[in-house]
Amino acid sequence: MENTAIEKQDLYYPMMSEIVKVETLTNLEKRFEIALPDNQILGHLPGQFVEVSIFGYGEAPISICSSPTKMPNFDLTVRNAGKLTDKMHSMKEGSKIGIRGPYGNGFDVTKFEGKDILFVCGGIGLAPLKSLIDYTIAKRQKYGRIIILYGTKNPSEILFKEDIKMWQGSKEIEFHMTVDKPDEYWKGNTGVITTLIPPIDLDISNTIATVVGPPIMYKFVIMSLKGKRMPDENIYLSLERRMKCGVGKCGHCQINDTYVCQDGPVFHYPHAKQLEEAI
Amino acid sequence: MYYDSNTGLNKMKRYYFDQPTTDKFVEFLMTQAEVIAPQKKGDASYSYEVVTSGKDIVYDYPRTIQPLKKYFLPPRETLLSFDSKNNEFKKTDIALNNRIFFAIHSYEMQGIKRLDYSFTQGNPEFNYLQRRENSIFIGISFNPDKWHFTKSVGISIEEVERFSLYFEPVDNGFLVFEVDDTGKELISKFGNGLSLDASMDFEVREKEFKTKIKYHYNRLPQVFEHVYNSKVWSDIAQKCVGCGTCNLLCPTCYCFDVRDEVELEISKGKRERFWDGCMLNEFAEVAGGENFREKLSSRTRHRLHRKFKYITDHSGELHCVGCGRCTKYCPANISIVEIINNLIEEYSDHQKEQII
Amino acid sequence: MSKPKVAFFDFTSCEGCQLNKLNLENDLLSILELVDIVEFREAMDDKADEYDIAFIEGSISTPTCVERIHDIRRRTKILVALGACAVNGGINAMKNLYPADWVKEEVYGEDKYLFPSIPVQPVSALVKVDYEIRGCPMSTPEFLHVLKSLVLGRKPESFDYAVCVECKLKENECVLDKGMFCLGPISRAGCDAICPSNGQYCTGCRGLVSNINENGAVDMLKQHGFSEKEALNRMRLYCANDIEN
Ligand SMILES: Cc1cc2nc3c(=O)[nH]c(=O)nc-3n(C[C@H](O)[C@H](O)[C@H](O)COP(=O)(O)OP(=O)(O)OC[C@H]3O[C@@H](n4cnc5c(N)ncnc54)[C@H](O)[C@@H]3O)c2cc1C
Ligand code: SF4
Ligand code: SF4
Ligand code: FES
Repeated sequence: MENTAIEKQDLYYPMMSEIVKVETLTNLEKRFEIALPDNQILGHLPGQFVEVSIFGYGEAPISICSSPTKMPNFDLTVRNAGKLTDKMHSMKEGSKIGIRGPYGNGFDVTKFEGKDILFVCGGIGLAPLKSLIDYTIAKRQKYGRIIILYGTKNPSEILFKEDIKMWQGSKEIEFHMTVDKPDEYWKGNTGVITTLIPPIDLDISNTIATVVGPPIMYKFVIMSLKGKRMPDENIYLSLERRMKCGVGKCGHCQINDTYVCQDGPVFHYPHAKQLEEAI
Repeated sequence: MYYDSNTGLNKMKRYYFDQPTTDKFVEFLMTQAEVIAPQKKGDASYSYEVVTSGKDIVYDYPRTIQPLKKYFLPPRETLLSFDSKNNEFKKTDIALNNRIFFAIHSYEMQGIKRLDYSFTQGNPEFNYLQRRENSIFIGISFNPDKWHFTKSVGISIEEVERFSLYFEPVDNGFLVFEVDDTGKELISKFGNGLSLDASMDFEVREKEFKTKIKYHYNRLPQVFEHVYNSKVWSDIAQKCVGCGTCNLLCPTCYCFDVRDEVELEISKGKRERFWDGCMLNEFAEVAGGENFREKLSSRTRHRLHRKFKYITDHSGELHCVGCGRCTKYCPANISIVEIINNLIEEYSDHQKEQII
Repeated sequence: MSKPKVAFFDFTSCEGCQLNKLNLENDLLSILELVDIVEFREAMDDKADEYDIAFIEGSISTPTCVERIHDIRRRTKILVALGACAVNGGINAMKNLYPADWVKEEVYGEDKYLFPSIPVQPVSALVKVDYEIRGCPMSTPEFLHVLKSLVLGRKPESFDYAVCVECKLKENECVLDKGMFCLGPISRAGCDAICPSNGQYCTGCRGLVSNINENGAVDMLKQHGFSEKEALNRMRLYCANDIEN
């Protein structure tokens, strides 16, 4: 991936960018549309992330949740979890934030061409996968079936409701979702995300599974996929670790000998399986 | 037995400096650049400090508290200063003055070599590399104390790699070896008008290390292939209090934390980085509350793998240089050599079982 | 943006923390630029009904304290526990290690029935504490950090690592190595290792780091020549409510 926006010298220096749109998704999450200075294009791959920087509040790694086909701006979906993210939630259109990146490896989209793609998204894990979902929808003819499985703790945590409506209405997309704890208005599936896997009919050898969710989810989702005899080679995960630099220097993101900010966050399962600390 | 002591010193041009000449030489160095050398710190410790008077230099120090990395990766460093009202920031200027690091031990130089690797791999880091510019290193030999084990990790006392000159104490002074062209230049500049004696014979006297790793260092990465699930890690965790001293004082550890702090004017502030360590509680904790290395056993395991396997697999060098700091300064008296020897023991028992 | 209204209240403590705050001299004027101090027992006599930030000093040890702390909680947006007593009971909590009657007798003698007393509790045992400033007396750098952060509207940082870290960053000579006692390896940083930097040992006044290896810590102190009893007693000095056995 070419990284023209950042010179070597500027590993830690952000590009001052602008929030051009803010949208409240849930009590905890907002989506921000970001414009880089001088209409620059971020040039990311689905699955990559940026370091968001707000002076006085620090930096945080956030996945890019829009498809590279959307240009020149890009979107971030941010959960209010602490210093920086809390401040970001108070920011309005026109506010400035710093951006470094894109960082990480991202999904190898060309390798997926011609394949069916199964998305398994738990909670805010939908945000990083949304970039790939949108990308495959934008290049619909290049991919086989698009199957999205989405699980949240409860109905109030559901993200991207408008997109979901579209996915549900589209013949091109198979969408299934579930919540762990329903409320009185919930009419859909209940139960953890793994309950969605057994009923779907998959052409196992021609399906790529991409999995993102909270740490404890991976083990169980992989078990279910293995239950369907999906080969390891067809499974991809995106993993979260603490990150400070995003450029392979601070050491925080290491899983055994692997830097998640460099050789991740997207992992091919056969590789992740070799890393004792991964799952 | 552990390494071959053919250090090349024998072939090098050398001079005899008595103490007055050495003092003069230090004065000369101070006219050339900022000179940094080991000095006394507190009651019984040493630290590298800028030399203001040659008398302050301690030539026979065992080791300093902080390693030399403090000059290239300062314990606390401003990455940028900002003005949040105007959304502006200023990069930090890193001075490019000449520095001479004087009376440095071989393992310390090797530690810098390891850091050079870590900061040039992948994304080269400007801050570190800029500070590394314009540095001259002058080595000195040392007498191993009960914590040094450099020989066991393949670093001889007389390893002169990356030094410009090397000092070997002899009666009433030093033999000064000309290691590279920079060293040669320094000597010729200094010696102009003086008649330096260059006729001394010299033989490397093998010095005994009290602390030894049981296997040849070449075999350590192989041992580390097999000990990930060893019991040794949880044994150590019984004693470890997780203070992080072993990380912070290690010459090859470089992990850091980044924090923003504002001034009382609020809109102005700095983004700073601090030394950090994988032995500390929050090092691998994320927003959801998950701590990916919650147990002290998994932290020690990670620390040791960083020294003997993870980076070694790529760089081909062990990233422990045998300085002994992590052991000497561990409040719980945990010895890295003991950990390794226990791992070796377990590994060799296991190998034997497989043969039977 | 109007200045946040700030109030300081004290409960059972030596009031050393407040004095410490007044010692901020150099910064005090800048602080007054940032915030409106509306209640501050030792310095002025104003009363305001609602606060943005209430700093609470001292632990809770009488029924009146209980009422008062609930009242303050209702009237403030942010509540900050200030100093060891408020954060974890501090030295005051030592009395929990002895029978209540004996303590009263010792302290008040004949008058013990005039002073209703309950087990010493940190503020957090009764009301929600948003942030903590540890230390006995409170650590001034941390006080400034919290104040600045709250004015910025940002969550303050608190460090869950040992005082050793700060000592090593400053390249202090280790006081354990000098044969002195020290709790630095298991005590919470944030004071910039002020005691070891001045040749004193760390008493752990900021409380212990979370999930400490208690047996390991006792063994460590034994290796340095201190008895198990002494080790535990010193650990209890500020952390009576945190130590298990
Ligand atoms: C590759 C990657 C992609 C991510 N994508 C998204 C995303 O799309 N949307 C989203 O809302 N969040 C995302 N996160 C998580 C997000 O980075 C954290 O929530 C954020 O760093 C918290 O920062 P803060 O300043 O708000 O919180 P802080 O006040 O710094 O800390 C709050 C808590 O977060 C933890 N934490 C601190 N720093 C980090 C860090 N750098 N990484 C992880 N946890 C940390 C701490 O343990 C602390 O308990 C992603 C994380 C990674 C590693
Ligand atoms: S210095 Fe010793 S006690 Fe401290 S973290 Fe390292 S091994 Fe554990
Ligand atoms: S691991 Fe210990 S002995 Fe090895 S280089 Fe680091 S501090 Fe020195
Ligand atoms: S985030 Fe710093 S090394 Fe990966």
